[in-house]
Amino acid sequence: MANELLFFMEVLVGGLLAGTMYSLVALGFVLIFKASATFNFSQGAMVFFSVLAFCGFMQDFNIPFVLAFILAAFLMVVVGLCTERLVLRPLMNASEDTVLMATIGLGYVLEGLAQAAWGVEVRRLDLGIGDFPVPWIADNLKLFISALDITAGLVAAIMIIGLFLLFKYTKIGLGLRAVADDAGAASSIGIPLKHIMLLVWSAAGVVALVAGMMWGARAGVQFALVDLALKALPVLIIGGFSSIPGAIIGGLIIGAVEKILEVYIGPFFGGAIEGWAPYVLAIFFLLYRPEGLFGEKIIRRV
Amino acid sequence: MSNNSANILDIRNIEVMYDNVILALHDVSLKVPKGKVVALLGANGAGKSTTLKAVSTMLASERGKVTKGSIDYDGNSIEKQNPSQMVGLGMVQVLEGRRCFGHLTVEENIISGAYSRKLSKGDIDQELEKIYTYFLRLKERRKSQAAFTSGGEQQMIAVARAMMAKPKMLLLDEPTMGLAPQLVAEIFNIVKELNQKEGVSILLAEQNTNIALKNSDYGYIIETGKVMLEGTAESLLNNDKVKELYLGISKKGRKNFRDVLKEESLNKKIN
Repeated sequence: MANELLFFMEVLVGGLLAGTMYSLVALGFVLIFKASATFNFSQGAMVFFSVLAFCGFMQDFNIPFVLAFILAAFLMVVVGLCTERLVLRPLMNASEDTVLMATIGLGYVLEGLAQAAWGVEVRRLDLGIGDFPVPWIADNLKLFISALDITAGLVAAIMIIGLFLLFKYTKIGLGLRAVADDAGAASSIGIPLKHIMLLVWSAAGVVALVAGMMWGARAGVQFALVDLALKALPVLIIGGFSSIPGAIIGGLIIGAVEKILEVYIGPFFGGAIEGWAPYVLAIFFLLYRPEGLFGEKIIRRV
Repeated sequence: MSNNSANILDIRNIEVMYDNVILALHDVSLKVPKGKVVALLGANGAGKSTTLKAVSTMLASERGKVTKGSIDYDGNSIEKQNPSQMVGLGMVQVLEGRRCFGHLTVEENIISGAYSRKLSKGDIDQELEKIYTYFLRLKERRKSQAAFTSGGEQQMIAVARAMMAKPKMLLLDEPTMGLAPQLVAEIFNIVKELNQKEGVSILLAEQNTNIALKNSDYGYIIETGKVMLEGTAESLLNNDKVKELYLGISKKGRKNFRDVLKEESLNKKIN
C-alpha cells in the first residue's frame, strides 16, 4: 500500500512541477492581457523566437551562456519596442478584436524571422541540468523527480515574486495596474500608455525566453514550441486571464490533473488523454466559473 | 514659454468633427481667466464634453479632431500636444463618470495622479497629506478598494487624483452627475476651496445650471455645438431666458422645459 501512495505522490509532484512549465508560458499572456485586454496569439511565437535566438547566439557564435541570455533578453526588449511602435501605436484607437488579429499576424512574422535567421532544424539545448531524477531525492524520499522540473519550479517562483514586487511597489507597476483598470482615465492623468505597453511586451518577451529555455531543454528547440500557446489556454481559463497568481496555480492544476488522469484513468481510454484532459477541465470552468479561479471579478456597485 | 496675458485658456471659434463626418462643435469660443472658475452649461449632447476633450487633447483617442479654430493654453497653441504632455504642462481633465481605478485602493488611485511628476517617496507622502486636508473623507477610506466606495467618494478620488498632478488648470466634466444634493454641495465646496487656496483655474462642464453658476465667476451656455449665451455668473442667473430654459423658473412660476418649448412653437405658429 505504501508503494501505491509513493507512486501517487510521485505522479502528483511530477505533475505539479511540470505544471510550472505551463505557468511560465501562461505568465507571458497574463502580462499582455492585463495592459491591453488582448489575448496575445503571438506569445507562442515569441517563445520560439527568443529561445531560438538564444541557441543561435550560443551555438553559432559561441557566446557564453550568461551573455547569450542577456543578448536574447535584450533582443526581446527590441521586439517589444518594435511591436509597440509598429503594431500597437497605429492601432491605438482600434477595437480589441483588431489588436487580437494583429497579434496573430505578429506571430507569423516572428516565426518567419526566427527561421530565416537561424534555420529550420531542431536544436538541442543543454542547460547543464539533466532531465533525470535527482539522486538525493530518489535515495532519501524514494521519489523520482526530474532535476529540470525542480529547476523550472524554482525559476517560476522567482519570476512570480519578481513580477509581484514590480507591480505592487514600483511606480511603473502602479501605472500598469491603472492602465489595466481604465486606460482612458490613466491617460487623462498623464500616464503614458506607450511606456506601459513597452514594459509589458518586454517583460512578456523575457518571460517567453525563460519558458522557451525550459521547454527547449526538455523537448528540443523547434517549431512545435509555437503550439505551447495552446497549452496555456486551459491554464488561463482556469487561473483567470488577468491574474499572475492565477497563471501559476492554473499551471499547477493542469500539470497535476493531466498526469494523474493519464496514469489512473488513461488506460480506460487507451491512454494519451494528457493531450485533451486539460481542455475538458477548461470547459467546466467556462461553464461554472468563467472568470477563472483568480480572475478579477467585474465589480459592479448596486 | 508662458505669457502674462490674463487668460490661461483661450478657445477661438473651434469646430470639432468625429470620424471626419459627425460635426460635434460648430463654433465655440471661450476664455478662462487665470484663477477663475468658468462654467460651461448645456443639455445632454450640447458639446460640453467635446469642448473639454478638445482642450485636453483627448479627442484623438475618440477619433475626434479640431478642424477649425485654435486653442491656446498658457499662451501656447495645444495643437501638437498629447494628453500626457498636457498633464505635464499643468492641465488635467477629470473625466465624466469619475473613472476611478476600481481594483486599486483609494490611496493608490490618488498617488497615480502624481505619475507624470518626478517625486520621491517622501514628497509623495507630503503631497498626499496636503490633498487629504481637502478630502477628509478619503483619508478614512484610504485602504479601501476604490470600486467599493460610494459615488460621491469616487468623484472625490477623481478630483484628488487630478490634484496630485499639481495642475494649473482643471477641466471638470459633470462632477455632480448622479450625486445626492448634499454631496453636490460638498463637491462644489471642495472645488471652490481648491480654486481659492491652490489658485487652480477651473473650467467646469455641468448640467446643474443653478449650483454651477452659483460657484462660478463666468458662464457660457452652449446648445448643439454653439455658444448661445455668455456672461458673468450673476447676469446669467438673473437672465430671464436662462431662468426659463435652464433653471425652470419664469414669471408665471415654475415650468418644465417641455412647456417652454410648447409655448415657443405656439408663438411661432401665431407669428
